[in-house]
Amino acid sequence: MTIAPTIEADTAHAVSEHRSLDRAARRVLVTNWRVRATVPATKLYPHQWSWDSAFIAIGLRHLSPTRAQQELESLFGAQWRDGRVPHIVFDPDVARDAYFPGPGFWRSGSSNAAAVPTSGIVQPPAHALATWATYRADPAVAHVRGFLPRMYPRLVQWHHYLLTRRDLGGAGLASIVHPWESGMDNSPAWDAPLSRIDPVSPVSFTRRDLAHAPAAERPTDLDYGRYIRLASDYRDAGYADKPSVHAFAIEDPLYNALLIAGEHALANIAAAIGRDPAPHRATADRLTATLVSRLYDPAAEMFFPRDVHTGELVRSWSITGLMPMIVPELPVARELVDTALGSRFRLREACPLPSYDLTAPDHAPGQYWRGPGWVNTSWLFWHGLRLHGETALADDLRERLLHRVLNTGFREYLDPLTGAGHGSDGFSWTAALALDLIRTA
Amino acid sequence: MIKISCQEQLLPGATLQDKWDFAQQAGYDAIEVRGRGDFALRDRLPELRRAARDGVPMPSVCVEMLHFLGAFDADLRRDAIAQMKSQLSVIAEIGGPGAVACTPASYGMFSRRLPPFEPPRSEQDDRAVLVEGLTELGEHAAREGVVLALEPLNRYEDHMVNRLEQAVELITAVGLPSVKALADTYHMNIEEDEPTSAIVMAATHLGHVQVSDSNRFQPGAGHLDWAALLGTLDAIGYDGHLAVECRLRGEPARAVAAIPGFLRRHAVGVAV
Repeated sequence: MTIAPTIEADTAHAVSEHRSLDRAARRVLVTNWRVRATVPATKLYPHQWSWDSAFIAIGLRHLSPTRAQQELESLFGAQWRDGRVPHIVFDPDVARDAYFPGPGFWRSGSSNAAAVPTSGIVQPPAHALATWATYRADPAVAHVRGFLPRMYPRLVQWHHYLLTRRDLGGAGLASIVHPWESGMDNSPAWDAPLSRIDPVSPVSFTRRDLAHAPAAERPTDLDYGRYIRLASDYRDAGYADKPSVHAFAIEDPLYNALLIAGEHALANIAAAIGRDPAPHRATADRLTATLVSRLYDPAAEMFFPRDVHTGELVRSWSITGLMPMIVPELPVARELVDTALGSRFRLREACPLPSYDLTAPDHAPGQYWRGPGWVNTSWLFWHGLRLHGETALADDLRERLLHRVLNTGFREYLDPLTGAGHGSDGFSWTAALALDLIRTA
Repeated sequence: MIKISCQEQLLPGATLQDKWDFAQQAGYDAIEVRGRGDFALRDRLPELRRAARDGVPMPSVCVEMLHFLGAFDADLRRDAIAQMKSQLSVIAEIGGPGAVACTPASYGMFSRRLPPFEPPRSEQDDRAVLVEGLTELGEHAAREGVVLALEPLNRYEDHMVNRLEQAVELITAVGLPSVKALADTYHMNIEEDEPTSAIVMAATHLGHVQVSDSNRFQPGAGHLDWAALLGTLDAIGYDGHLAVECRLRGEPARAVAAIPGFLRRHAVGVAV
């Protein structure tokens, strides 16, 4: 018999205070559930997305611990033989042209043991963090289902892929090879490195995103042509990982911060199943030192992405540079809090945290990753604030996030100053993370 | 907070009052009575009135007969409708406004999974019979201020209404707010692609819920994901009872007493 988690008195109070939001969040999660996984949104994103599933599991664990485990298991069921976890796992029951680029573009073939059609690129590694959070929601049911012993080797293989094949810069950090891999697809941080890419002609493909969202909020055709160029070059190279294959190669702060937080989570998971946690802690410590020495600018009090091809930092003030807050024992957490409190991100007022510098002339509060705020990056910053003892700021951010979602609904992204909603409605991770914020009082 | 009721035959005790004492101790909120044929429920009215006066909450009745409104035989159909009208009137009196009487389309009459596989009546005629019967009963329920809940049964027990979407389609055709759908977790586990998705789809038409596990034993004895089911029912705003209708594994009194605790412990997804 399994034992469900009991709700603590503080949590019960928070749930009672946010009862209608709590219910509405669960309605989104059950509506977007597709038997073994959750779609990010019913129209724009009709398949399973990698980092979405990680954030969704963090909320889903409060609705059904079993379901949260299945969310992660189904994603890792499509893990490639080389260890990569694809950024999209296509639902075979959805029309092949419902999303572009679809299965016919990526041609994943038998790259995963199940031969499930997937994309060939990856997304930020939030999965070990999500696995540990999911396990903790109900250790008894996880134990009965063998959740951790099954997930652990797959997570280790996933991190191994990133730490070896994707160490394109040679310093130990993982590189992303496509803007979509950052999760922050259209961020201004990628403009300069992307400008070197020769775009594919827009007449050679049909976008599907524009049928579901206003064109002004989505990437331009020129950018889209570059995205397609990068993805098709990678595909045509057989998804080989070498600097010569990847015209776009970036060491991204958010990406590597999640990898480090994930190594800490893997240490916990290893300990829970009787394996040695020490190697994971050692990896985390080594990566933390490299992250700070390689991507942190002490004068700016900010992390910046590093362009592997130029060897230069990309000095774009985007949310990715604050995300190392989630790294335990980060030596510059206080400095990041100061930066977040400053005029570029206005932590005390802007909510969700803007994806891009509020003072920049090209800040666009409604445009995809060029200004608006996402609940997941704010959730990560909230998590980091708690991790580093900034409880008052964390509680304040939590309250304002819940207030925003209550007023705007479960939108994909929001104007950080007005709270106006953009992108999809009924967006799964917005609902999942709101649920987690309510339940993790 | 979820509300749980228990069918009367599962509770120990000689009278409804005794059964209620036991049920309250165990954490139940109400009793679901059973309605046999030949107007047996109506004939129990003196007993039921005494129990109601003594404070026994009885918000629903589950029919216990062998023929129903979808019977092939016209006389049996007429009788089933007369019985259900009577049960609706009785439950209106002892359960009050919004009380529920439950019926399947049929039970044990025909299964497309068992020989001879092809029923003697066409699907079109099945539907006409069901819409006609549901309309008559729905109008009676509306006059009494109560709800008729149509229960999909699994494919081995009924050939006409197996899934919530089929019940919702009929209910929409009838067009009466007094006719609603009944979600039974056991049948749903067999018939629905995903029980929680079916609940979301049927949300506005859901009038009653009966609970047992995947194997028809008490909740907890099988493999249903109770956290997901209960969290979904709460999320769609279902505020009726979860009526326990099951077989019991283990010592019966102990088994039935453990059900409310089990359900509440697994209601992790429910807003408190």
